[in-house]
Amino acid sequence: MKARILVVDDDEALAEMIGIVLRNDGFEPVFCADGGQALDIFRSSKPDLVLLDLMLPGTDGIEVCRQIRSESDVPIVMLTAKSDTSDVVRGLESGADDYVPKPFKPAELVARVRARLRPGDQKAPETLRIADVTIDVAGHAVSRGSERISLTPLEFDLLVALARKPWQVFTRELLLEQVWGYRHAADTRLVNVHVQRLRSKIERDPEAPEVVLTVRGVGYKAGS
Amino acid sequence: MVSAIKQVPEPQGQNPSEAPEGPGGSDMPRGTDGPHAQAAHPTPEHIAPEHTDALSGGLAGLPLRVRIWKRRALIVSLRVLRLVRTGLDRVFPGIRFLLRTLQRRWRRSLQFRTVLTTLLLSISSFAIVGAYLSNQIANNLFQERLTQAESETRYNVKQVQDTFDGAQVTDQSSVITLVYDTLNAVEGRGSVIQRRYVFEAMPEQTKPRNRWVESRASDQLTVSVIPKDLRAAVQDSGKDQFWASMQFPVGTEDRPGIAVGNKVTFNGTVYELYLIYDLDTAQQTLDEIQNVLWAGGAALIIMIGGIAWYVTRNVVSPVSHAAVVSEKLAAGQLQERMVVKGEDEVARLGASFNHMAASLQEQITQLATLSQMQQRFVSDVSHELRTPLTTVRMAAEVLYDARDDFDPINKRSAELLYNQVERFQSLLADLLEISRFDAGVAMLDAEATDIVQLVSHVMEGAAPVAEEYGSAMTLNAPEGSTVVEMDARRIDRILRNLVLNALEHGEGKPVNISVASNATAVAVTVRDHGIGMTPAEAARVFDRFWRADPARARTTGGSGLGLSIATEDTKLHSGWLQAWGNKGVGSNFRLTLPLKQGGTITKSPLQLEPADVALPGAVDRTVLVLGNPDTDGVPEGRQGTAAPRDTDVAPAGDVAPERAATGERS
Repeated sequence: MKARILVVDDDEALAEMIGIVLRNDGFEPVFCADGGQALDIFRSSKPDLVLLDLMLPGTDGIEVCRQIRSESDVPIVMLTAKSDTSDVVRGLESGADDYVPKPFKPAELVARVRARLRPGDQKAPETLRIADVTIDVAGHAVSRGSERISLTPLEFDLLVALARKPWQVFTRELLLEQVWGYRHAADTRLVNVHVQRLRSKIERDPEAPEVVLTVRGVGYKAGS
Repeated sequence: MVSAIKQVPEPQGQNPSEAPEGPGGSDMPRGTDGPHAQAAHPTPEHIAPEHTDALSGGLAGLPLRVRIWKRRALIVSLRVLRLVRTGLDRVFPGIRFLLRTLQRRWRRSLQFRTVLTTLLLSISSFAIVGAYLSNQIANNLFQERLTQAESETRYNVKQVQDTFDGAQVTDQSSVITLVYDTLNAVEGRGSVIQRRYVFEAMPEQTKPRNRWVESRASDQLTVSVIPKDLRAAVQDSGKDQFWASMQFPVGTEDRPGIAVGNKVTFNGTVYELYLIYDLDTAQQTLDEIQNVLWAGGAALIIMIGGIAWYVTRNVVSPVSHAAVVSEKLAAGQLQERMVVKGEDEVARLGASFNHMAASLQEQITQLATLSQMQQRFVSDVSHELRTPLTTVRMAAEVLYDARDDFDPINKRSAELLYNQVERFQSLLADLLEISRFDAGVAMLDAEATDIVQLVSHVMEGAAPVAEEYGSAMTLNAPEGSTVVEMDARRIDRILRNLVLNALEHGEGKPVNISVASNATAVAVTVRDHGIGMTPAEAARVFDRFWRADPARARTTGGSGLGLSIATEDTKLHSGWLQAWGNKGVGSNFRLTLPLKQGGTITKSPLQLEPADVALPGAVDRTVLVLGNPDTDGVPEGRQGTAAPRDTDVAPAGDVAPERAATGERS
């Protein structure tokens, strides 16, 4: 079955080009040119992934991202013409899983899309623990005691990656490779923002983390 | 008798300055020194023997006592000395501080200086005027009293002489009564004694004389109060009248006075008759006048000081206000203005100052707006270009991927399109980055990171390119990690740029990368042994869009902004980025960063000029210093094995192999 991808972009030429590329790679694109309609089209088309331009007429990309995230865990990849730290971070914080800065190569875009669509398909029944948090890998569920913690797929992947090798310190580059699927170095701010988001959900006190620990000058590791 | 009187005006005539001193000062007798200085001065020689007699009583234990007293005196003086010294030690810092404060104020405050100078000048001029006035008044008062005293004396002496001449000498008591009555009459009537007298028989009279009356004086006066010079003058002369300033006791105090001396004869005996006139009232008048002068002077000086202070404040305060305002303006508070009051010169100064500030502000604001607009424009253009560029790039890539299906012309076109879009994109990215620096919105996202790991990472990334050029890359780094507070993204960009540049210009020779650190800084050098640079080229290598060889640059690509961006990234870290080059020998780029953000680099841990370069080429060598000039030269903390001794001259015609894709690099 073809994965359906919602392309939210007001630039028709670009949307069409993205459509060509996606179709070429076996995806089924759905288009939306207006931020105000994005949520309706999202609901009606039920895409497997959203490609979202940050600069949109009507409702802006960040707001759309927030709306979609509030009702779905579907992966969101932002398309951004601005690579300023603040914009990227704002986009990621509003719930996007990844971003592709314009101008991008078709291969780059497809790789990002594939990486996000890669489902945890071959997941064996497995239960992991970090600190007082229990992770049911197959059931895609995280809980502390009887309390269930809701995570996006990306956050879940990040936590699982750390939990599988609690003895290892992960550099940001390694996490980018394992969780995001980047082969070459990319923007490590992705890791920073997502670790912060993950912490805000699973830590008792995000200021004093116990589950995801920072190793100064190197990266992150799982708490014991 | 009257005819015999001779006035002696000489004392004040010859010595006008000395005479008035009398009434004012305590040493009145000096006034008489004038013409009678040559008079006999019997020195009291008998005093000395008397003293020795008195001391001779305790002569026996003298040596011992003297020694004891000496010792005591020594101890006491030492103690006093110490006390004084500690006292001074305590007081001196205070005094020094006070002096320094005053000195500083003198140097720094025009107002203080003006007021102080005015005060000192007015005090000294007032002292001169006051002294002159006081002197004049004293002189006049004295002269007046003296004239009065002389005329009164002449009259009274005549009265006395007349009474004596007409007296019938019968018996002792009547003679005594007569003399006393006559003399008492001289004192004048009323409760206040107008003049006192001293009546004394001339010594050594051989003639038969009156033995009943020897001497007589008012109150408790004796003849000893009369100055010796005056007595001598009276005794030696005939019937002349002399005067002298003197002091005489009244009750417990000494009063200034004038003694006027004459001779009178009674019954064949010659007597000296001195009449003493009190100068007390004159002295009091003078004191009062002096008090008034003092008080007036003090008031005047305070007023002059106040006026000087006020006037200088009026002149100086606008100036110091202007200084404060211009300092604020210089500090960037462009809205600062002076307060303008009235229409005088100061107001004109203020007005023109404000005018200057306003036009300055206007121009600065205009410039700032213009530059902001320009930067914003560049940024907007870059952003607006990105979306269509993305479409173009994707389309180009689709065509490029399908190029094998095209005929040769279309295929080559697709390739060219693809490559040039890549290049265009790289240029645009660099332009946007530069515009971000120019707009001042570039933020440092510093975090503690291992720089050795970063360098290895950069080298890994550059490995395919190195292979392409046939260059070997060596890393010379300390064991373990070197953690630096830095924005890894930016440092990665700088180092990648340096390494790719070195490979590009390295002509297939090895590229050596070294890392070293000291207490405050870490340095990374990237050394190539390729074509190198001339001094002029090394000086311009960080300029925007600058290319060593325009013809060559076309083929190797790059935006020409890479090193400019690297410079800006380095500045953001408060680091140094420096280049060294030698034509045909190669070049060396050194990046020095402070270990902690906010720290300063005193010295780079690595030498900019490579150690493997032969020294004789001093003329050709060139060092470009960006940012802080440093005093390097000593390789501190340099790692064991230095770069290989490889100073081969590039063989002629050795052209670097063609590269397929050069777009990403500059």
